[in-house]
Amino acid sequence: MTSPNSSPVPQGAVAGGTATPSIAPSRSVQRDGPNSSLGTFGVKSGLAQMLKGGVIMDVINPEQARIAEEAGAVAVMALERVPADIRAEGGVARMSDPAMIKSIVDAVTIPVMAKCRIGHFVEAQILQAVGVDYIDESEVLTPADEEHHINKHNFKIPFVCGARDLGEALRRISEGAAFIRTKGEAGTGNIVEAVRHERAVNSEIRKASAMNEEELYSYAKQIQAPFHLLKETARLKRLPVVNFAAGGIATPADAALMMQLGCDGVFVGSGIFKSGDAPKRARAIVQAVTHYNNPKTLAEVSEDLGPAMVGLTIDDKLTGGRLAARGW
Amino acid sequence: MADQGKLTYLDRISIGILALQGAFAEHEASLHRLKINRQLHVILVRTPEELSQCDALIIPGGESTTIALLARLAGLLEPLKDFTKSKPIWGTCAGAILLSQSVSGGAKKGGQELLGGISIKIARNGWGSQIESFEAPLELNGIRESTRPFQALFIRAPVVVEILSFPEDPLITVVARIPLELLPPALIEENMSENDPRTVVALRQGRHLLTTFHPELTEDDRFHEYFVHSCVLSP
Repeated sequence: MTSPNSSPVPQGAVAGGTATPSIAPSRSVQRDGPNSSLGTFGVKSGLAQMLKGGVIMDVINPEQARIAEEAGAVAVMALERVPADIRAEGGVARMSDPAMIKSIVDAVTIPVMAKCRIGHFVEAQILQAVGVDYIDESEVLTPADEEHHINKHNFKIPFVCGARDLGEALRRISEGAAFIRTKGEAGTGNIVEAVRHERAVNSEIRKASAMNEEELYSYAKQIQAPFHLLKETARLKRLPVVNFAAGGIATPADAALMMQLGCDGVFVGSGIFKSGDAPKRARAIVQAVTHYNNPKTLAEVSEDLGPAMVGLTIDDKLTGGRLAARGW
Repeated sequence: MADQGKLTYLDRISIGILALQGAFAEHEASLHRLKINRQLHVILVRTPEELSQCDALIIPGGESTTIALLARLAGLLEPLKDFTKSKPIWGTCAGAILLSQSVSGGAKKGGQELLGGISIKIARNGWGSQIESFEAPLELNGIRESTRPFQALFIRAPVVVEILSFPEDPLITVVARIPLELLPPALIEENMSENDPRTVVALRQGRHLLTTFHPELTEDDRFHEYFVHSCVLSP
């Protein structure tokens, strides 16, 4: 395995310059000897590979986390407000209270993720210290930096980031993201943007995979992606890390649509706990992601789910604005 | 080559990979890389009908709670339990948990469904959260080129806490251990033997294989080769 991140990086020495005390548990440092490597890119992207074919659900308290686990979620995203509420209430959306995140970590055995603001590397340090399993550097929260994303190589904990196209996905991977998701338009219950983003990534990969090296140099410049990652993507004919759908998934059919478009799994944010019968809808979406190619099973699991979340039209009057435009 | 061009049904082996959730595509890629003198047919198993066509099965890494639930919903739980009694199974990570006789710590509230098949007790997430996930080179026992270390990825890996083997059970053979100092500090006790069950990360019982790490995430296919040659083809 290639391990670009296996060299011992002092935990405090993250982007920003000033030395801060180590925030990783001391045992991590002790075991960082020559024979064992913690937080290598292999174990970071490996956890995402274990989540494939699964559903990651937004939850705001331990009760919802337990419902998600019982419904078959592969992981939960712990946050104080689901995107639909962030959109409706407005204001600055920040990292959640660590006490609330810990209560969710204690309630379930599946991995727990949490969101930090784009560019807010101290929120990320705090989430790493809290002991979550994955960090989402997310456009759903209010960005803390309008130019720089977090240097994710400096962390032992893996990151997932949103992307609207291939260039954006490869820029995030070059910063150290071990997992990519579409941005979609969070909190709308409207799948159209997630479809647009996944189709854009797929079409650009197909285009790149037919190019020769000279053309790839030029294309890398055009989509503002690092050449070596573009070349690897063209060779693999897919993103070099796991790629989930996110932003607007509200029904089992939405989830299966994203899987048939080539996603490796789905995030469901507001779509579950803003619907009529959350446990039943959650389980139906989990089954839809496994049996995404079987319309008969999809029909069975889509029956009698109660009302889906109310969807929003995505236009210039959208409450809370377009979150997908955040990130650079 | 002429002989190999005329494979009969008997020459063909069908290896299933439980494809409900997790890293099944990685196992499929590893199996396709193997060079064996049989026609190897890989079946991604999502239904009891697909399972019934398999000569052996791999249960991949993923989330064991999700895989168990999806297996129950797909009507696969009982067929899988029957499968463990008659045909070879290999479980990696989450698959290793499902093949265990019992789970000691870290089981979800409300209990965890298991298939059984290997006489061990296992603890989920034995090392803790993702920040404790690691890579380590392993020395192997009984696998080709066993002196060449195997670079193993342990991702929120389970820990074998006890070997429960009864006299009538098939013999358990340890295939790989990790050194004591790599164990999670909470598990380390004074005067712990290097042969403590908690150091076991790969083992074989009868025709079943269990690994708490992920050979499917590396390009080193020696475990896949071992499973096909030693567990499936020459029991």
